[in-house]
Parts: sequence; C-alpha cells; structure tokens
Amino acid sequence: MRGIVGRFVAALAVPVLAAVAQARETTQFPAVAAQDAVLTIHAAADLTAMEPLIRDFQAQHPRVAVTYVEYVTNDLKLAASIACEAGRPLADVILSSAVDHLVRLANDGCALEHRSQDTARTPSWAKWRDEVFGFTFEPAVIVYNYDAVPAEDVPRTRVELAELLRTKEDSYRGRVGTYDPRRSGIGYLLTITDARQTSAYGRLIESFGRARAVVHCCTSDLLDDLASGRLLIGYNLLGSYAYARVRAGAHLRIVLPRDYTVVLSRGAMVPSTAGRPDLGAAFVDYLLSPRGQRTGRERAFFFGFDGGAPPEVDGPLSVVDSGLFRPITIGPALLAVQDEARRARFLADWSRSMIDLSGEQ
Amino acid sequence: MPRHEPSLFARLAGTITLVLAVGAMGLTTAAWYYARAAADEAYDRLLVGAALQIAEALTVQDGALTVELPISAFEMLALSERDRIFYKVTGPRGDLLAGYPDLDGRPPAGAQASRPTVSDGRFRGVPVRLASVGRVFADPAVQGWARVVVAQTAEARWSLARDLTLNATVLVLAMSALALGGVVFAVRHALRPLARIETALTARDPQDLTPLSLDTPREIRALVAAINHFMERLKGRMTLMQRFIADAAHQLRTPLAALSAQVDLLAHDTDLAQRRHHLERVQERTGQLGRLANQLLSHAMVIHRTEAVPFERLDIVALARRTLRDAVPVSISPDIVVSFEGPDHPVHVNGDQVSIREAIANVIDNALRHGAAARLGVCVRTDACSAFVDVFDDGPGIPPGDWQRVTQRFGSDPSGGGRSTGLGFAIAREVATAHGGALSFREPDESGFTVTLSFPRILDERS
Repeated sequence: MRGIVGRFVAALAVPVLAAVAQARETTQFPAVAAQDAVLTIHAAADLTAMEPLIRDFQAQHPRVAVTYVEYVTNDLKLAASIACEAGRPLADVILSSAVDHLVRLANDGCALEHRSQDTARTPSWAKWRDEVFGFTFEPAVIVYNYDAVPAEDVPRTRVELAELLRTKEDSYRGRVGTYDPRRSGIGYLLTITDARQTSAYGRLIESFGRARAVVHCCTSDLLDDLASGRLLIGYNLLGSYAYARVRAGAHLRIVLPRDYTVVLSRGAMVPSTAGRPDLGAAFVDYLLSPRGQRTGRERAFFFGFDGGAPPEVDGPLSVVDSGLFRPITIGPALLAVQDEARRARFLADWSRSMIDLSGEQ
Repeated sequence: MPRHEPSLFARLAGTITLVLAVGAMGLTTAAWYYARAAADEAYDRLLVGAALQIAEALTVQDGALTVELPISAFEMLALSERDRIFYKVTGPRGDLLAGYPDLDGRPPAGAQASRPTVSDGRFRGVPVRLASVGRVFADPAVQGWARVVVAQTAEARWSLARDLTLNATVLVLAMSALALGGVVFAVRHALRPLARIETALTARDPQDLTPLSLDTPREIRALVAAINHFMERLKGRMTLMQRFIADAAHQLRTPLAALSAQVDLLAHDTDLAQRRHHLERVQERTGQLGRLANQLLSHAMVIHRTEAVPFERLDIVALARRTLRDAVPVSISPDIVVSFEGPDHPVHVNGDQVSIREAIANVIDNALRHGAAARLGVCVRTDACSAFVDVFDDGPGIPPGDWQRVTQRFGSDPSGGGRSTGLGFAIAREVATAHGGALSFREPDESGFTVTLSFPRILDERS
C-alpha cells in the first residue's frame, strides 16, 4: 500500500529500548545517488504524510539516505528523554505531533538551537527558542457525512453543535464522535486548548455525554466510521486527515468552526545528542522552506501557514486573517499542559462529563 | 630655549576628553548595574506571580494534596520568550506533587516561610533565577507547608539589561560627543582674546610702551595687567636711564669744560707760580672728575642691581666693619680718629651686599671728604625690627634745609662745588629705599653730625 522500500519491525534491533518503546517501525529510504550519509528521523507522525516530504528532501540531497523510525508519541518522548539524559545519540531529527513533548524536551536542554533563513520565516507562535519548530498548520475541524446529515443540521459553531445534539438527540445519539484525549496526545492537546477557549466547551462536553458520543483514539478511526456512515458528525478532527479522505472520495464535508478554530502545528527538533546535527538541521530547514511547505501543502497537510484552506472546505477563506485563529502556541505554557498531575485531573474531569454521563443514560 | 609645550587647546581638549571618557565609562557601568536591577525586578515579579498562582492552585482533594498547574502562570512566564522554566511543587512532607524532583529551591535560612523569596541559582548546569513560595495547610488530612519553587533561565533578563544598557550607552556617547564638540568650540572661542593680545603686541611700534587697552575677559585681565605693569616698569626704567644719561652727560660736561679751561690757562700762562696754581687746579678737577665718574658708575650699578639681583641674607655688622676698613684711605690724616662700634653678634638683613656696601661707602666717603676734622665713626645698632648704620663725624654737618636736596641726584650745589655731595647720598638713599629702609640725618650733637642708614632686620633671628 505504502510505497515503502524496506520496512521491518525494529523493536528487536535495539533491545535496550524495546521495553519502553514498543511498536516502532523502521523504514529505509536509500539515497537517490551514491550514498554518503544517513539521516535518522524518529517520528510520531504518519509515514503516509511524511513520505512525500522525505522523498522531496532526498531530491534535494540525493546522496543522503533516510532512516525513518515511527513511534507513538509517548514512546518517542520517553526514548528521547532517556537518550538525552544518557547523552546517547538517538536521532538527527525528531518529529512529533505532540509538540508539548518537544517543548518539554527543549526545556530540559535536550534540543539544539538552529537559526536560518527558513526558521526566521516560521511564525513566532510556531517556534520556541529556535529549538522547536512547528512545520504544519493543522486546524481542528468538524467533519460530517453529507449523505446522512441534512444541510440544515450542519453545525458551524460549537454552540450550534451542542444545540443540535440537544434538539435532535434521538437522531444523533451514539452517532457523534470525537478524539479520546486519554489515548491520544493530539486529542489531549486539542481538548485542553478547547477547554481554555470558551465556556461553550463545558456545554458541548455535556451534550456529548448526553448524546453518548463515541470516542476513538485516532482521527483515522473516526474518519472510517464517518465515511461508512456509522458516525454522522465528528468533532475536533485534524483537517489534514479529513481532507485526505475527502480527496479520496469519501462522502464527507469539512467545516472550519466559525466561533474559533484551534490550530495545531506538528513539531520538529534537532536533539542535542544528534549524531549528524547538520543533517537534522538541513531537514528542519527543508520542512520550513517554501519548497517543503509547498510539497506538504499539496501532498500531505493541505493547509498552509498563511491560513488558506482548500476550496471544498466550509469556512472562512483564511483562518489566520479571520480572527478565529487559536493556535496552540509552541512555548513553555505547554509545560503546564504536559504536567502529569494536571493531565490526570483534566482527564478525570473529562471522563466524568463524557463517560459517567453517558453511562447513566 | 624653552621646551616645546603642547598647545593650550590640545591640553584642554585632552583633559576634557579624558574626563568625558572616564565619565562615560562610569555612567555605562552604572547603567549596566541599574539595568540589571531593573530587569531583575521586572522579571522577578512575573516569577513570584507565577509561583503564587501555582501555590493558589494547590487543593486538598479526598484527603490528598493535589495541584492543577495553572496554564496562565506558565503563559505569564512565557512572556520572556526564550527562557526555560523549571518548577517543583512539594507537599508538607517533602513529597513531590509536580515538576522537576531535582530542583532545589529551599528558602534561605531564616526567611519567613510565607514570604515569597527570590534567589539566584543553577539548575542542570544553567544559571537560573528561583522564586519560592510556601502555603500552609491546616486540613485534617494535610497539615504543614507546601512549597512551590519556580525557576527560570535568565536570557530575557540579560537581553533586557543589555538593551537598556545599550540604549543608555548610546545616549551617553551622544552626550559625550556633544560635550566634546561644545568644548572644542568653547575653547577656541575662549582662546581668541589671547590671539587678540598677540596681534595687538606684534602690531605695536617698538617705542610704544603705553598700556594695552583691550577689552578682555576677566580671566585674562590679570595677564593684560601683568603685561601693562611690565611695560610700566620698562618705561620707568627707560625713563630713568634716559634721565641718568642726560644728567651724567650734563654733570660730566661741566667739570670737563672747567678742566679744559684750566689746561688752556696752563698752556698759555708763562708765570711759574701761576702755572703751579693751574696745575693744582687741574689735579683737583681731575680728581673730582674721577670721583664723579666712579659715582656715576656706582649709581648705575646700584640701579641695575636693585632691579636684577636677588637679595641674600647677610650680616650687616661685618659688612659695615669691612666697608669702613676699605673706605678709609691709608693716606688719611693721622689727626682723625676712626672708630667702629657694633654688637658682638651678627645682625642679619636681607639685601644685596654690593649695593649696601656701596651705600655705606658713599656715606663714609662724604664724611671724610667734607666733615671729619678729628673724628669719624661708624656705629651699628638695632632695635626690634631694624638695623641701623650710623656714620658720624665732628664736621659742620649739613644744614637741615639742605637734607632734602643732597639726597637727590645731582642736587645742584649753590656753592658751586665747595661742598658738592654729588651722587653719594642719592645712591645711599636709593639703596636704603630699595631694601625697604631709609636714609636719615641727625643734627650735630655730642657725637657730631650723623647720617643713618636703616634696613629691616630678619626677625626670626635668635639674638
């Protein structure tokens, strides 16, 4: 399915980390020309999305082979911390959709500073200390199945969604889905940012609970259910995944919420223990460069830092200019978000609203 | 040749540049300290605020102390964009509730537990600023002090302090440059009157010794006054010399004419007795002429010395005794008794030895020539502040009416040469005056007619 050259489960290759970092998959991208260097990328990001970027990078650097190791976010964070404390090289560049993890790593002194023309172009909300850089622009969107949801039901704000669930509870009970923040770093980030934005959040969660909303760990599972019609409306999904499905022909439509749009940026970082920090920095530069941004926008993420959305998306022309833009700022505030005690409290509250409520009914 | 001195302008400009440079350095240093303090104060507030906010978020739930880290506290700290944040929240028993277990933020000994404290420290090898806040719990389940420590790296502080200092430095440098420019202008302007004086002096006729009449600033009025005073003295000196030359010429002309007449008579007279008489007259006239020439020279010398020779400390007793010995010729009439009287100890005055000797010698000479019949005496005496040299003789003396006249140069003698004092008293008076003393006369008494020279004594004398 994926055009992958060499792929194998690498857990056994590095037994030390096997205990803490499971489900790692390693993919090799041989150099286009005679190989003289290997760039090691450890990432908590979909290879599908990253592959066009890696290949384009190799078109620029034909003599560099790329080793791509895929983790889930928490495992990557753990592996990176351990490597940093031990002073052992792990990767030349780390990519993660859980930018709070990268911020924590940078705060702990595990990142290398990198400044270039390309990093200077990155908006200030999407970088911290010139160590952590956001390279994608991913709005959290509402997705609905247009075969099953009548046009008058389509919610364009959170209040409308809550209202819809209240007034047509019978039609939507068990057919609304959202991220499970307990199981997904991105879900947690999106949910906690949501919670801080508006008082409508409480009401929304409450209506989710009443409507027995379905929670899934990942955007793709939600999209599967939406495309098959088992779910009608999905809330807080990553726009890039959703749009990929739309392009693939699923009967889905995307709404950028008109009250405010939370935007997440996947992070890239050169670890302080990188074996080839120059290659890591070159890859970061590529991701932030106009060419990398263009490739990403055309082939993987579909939204750009200028806030422009693809034409099929129902929403303002530019998220950034509309005043509805709520980026998850890459900075030390994410340390509080990331704090274990805080996370436990938040998730407990969330569970009480969602699960207990739905369990009662 | 005088050494080549740097110009006034260079000196002033150099000194002021130095002062400005030192001042600028001082101000910049002060600005740095001030900026550091200001940056610390500004960011300390945020730090303490964040710590207090976190402490506020401590709650007891189900008998356990928990903390829900307020994101706003971290957003506040994130105002210093590049700084890393470390934190630790501990319960009463030191149990870690959140954050970095290895962050050490115990408040300094003696600090009140409830008061927020701020200190400098290091964490994981980087310098940090630490704020520590305590919060007391008196819950049945949780009792004692919970502690919140928040640390932040100092990049924003340094960068703020650097910016502040840089701005201050730019201002200081601009002010210094302005001051230096002003000084250059002011110094040039201030030195302009000197150039005017120079021009005025150069443009002058060499004969012109009138005072300079220039409008000058107060500061160099003294210089102009000194120049004027000098010119005044020069002018006085020149007048004196001119008069002296005129007087001397006149004085020499008369005896020379008389001598010439005598020589004529000598040449034409055939009578032996007459010729002898004329010869005696010639001898007499030649002697007078010689004495006159001596006195003129001596006077010129005295005038020169009073202006030019620095005074020295000398013993007036020894000087008077020596002068008397030298002044009394071997050919003196054996009828005349010469005496010297004076204190056994030296009496010191400040003066020019040569001039004073000349003065005393002149007075003695006058006494020998015109006064003394049987007695000539010199007596040195002192009072509290002066030394006196009395020269007395048993001659007829000078009538008080003539006292004034005889002390003037070439005070014309109405008797036409009988008792011409010539320059003797004039010299003596001038010397005494130049030394701050005086020449005086006393009418004849039992010791005879007395001429007294007085000089101020050196008072610190032990005697």
